[in-house]
Amino acid sequence: MSSMFRMVGKQLKTHPSLIPLFIFIGGGATMSMLYLGRLALKNPDVSWDHKNNPEPWNNIEPNQQYKFFTVNTDYSKLKKDRPDF
Amino acid sequence: MAYPLQLGLQDATSPVMEELIQFHDHTLMIALLVSTMVFYTILTTVTSKLTNKNMLDSQGIETIWTIAPALILFLIAMPSLRLLYMMDEVNNPHLTVKTIGHQWYWSYEYTDYKNLEFDSYMIPTQDLIPGQFRLLETDHRMVVPTDSPVRMLITADDTIHSWAVPTLGVKMDAIPGRLNQTTFVVSHPGVFYGQCSEICGANHSFMPISVEAIPLIHFEDWSTSMLAKI
Repeated sequence: MSSMFRMVGKQLKTHPSLIPLFIFIGGGATMSMLYLGRLALKNPDVSWDHKNNPEPWNNIEPNQQYKFFTVNTDYSKLKKDRPDF
Repeated sequence: MAYPLQLGLQDATSPVMEELIQFHDHTLMIALLVSTMVFYTILTTVTSKLTNKNMLDSQGIETIWTIAPALILFLIAMPSLRLLYMMDEVNNPHLTVKTIGHQWYWSYEYTDYKNLEFDSYMIPTQDLIPGQFRLLETDHRMVVPTDSPVRMLITADDTIHSWAVPTLGVKMDAIPGRLNQTTFVVSHPGVFYGQCSEICGANHSFMPISVEAIPLIHFEDWSTSMLAKI
């Protein structure tokens, strides 16, 4: 496993143009994995703990932002005009 | 609506569709520029009399043609993700309309206040009056007020259908047993057409959608008259 890295490191010394490739591919893969992890852990459609929190989608507040990014909607400014259960 | 020999997208009737058209123009321009450059490079390489048997590799050009495409893709991805999240936002709808796809017609339900339900069948070609559009007109149109966010709840009764109106930038599958939601705003009054967009049997091409947008002050007149008629 480490011999593979050493081989790649040796090739990089003679071909430094491959470094941007590692940066972009590595960065892309890292960002994808991080987003998948965020979806798995923070998405209210996913239930991990069947005993204590079986239906997380029932616990979202009307002014809670669960998406990664909002363009026009400021969730903190939304009215919370629904009763709590 | 669509016209013969049309190549591009239909003109936008909703703010989302305007954004979609801008994104499409941006991305297509990038794609055309890249294709032109590649085509030119291939053409000059193939028709050139020059030969260099000692050129093996070059670190400089390899770096450039790694970083430049990554940058171009980033410039496509940023507007794309922004538009994707923008299309998903909830916008406090003024009105909810339910539509159910059947073989082979759409039915619409306006149940916010009273129970208004009607079916929308295509007008057969032999029954068209002059000026009407073939395969697009329906006997009852889905009427919505202009400048009002409308929530559509879409499902189907039998097979999968898809409710689409290109000029509004709306397409959502109608799946039996599932309720799909989408929203749109109609910017100006008019009649806008779409067609079923998921193969659903013999008359899949003959169950169009027509949306009529009228100013809000007239909307209640229409719903009252429809309730009296149905």
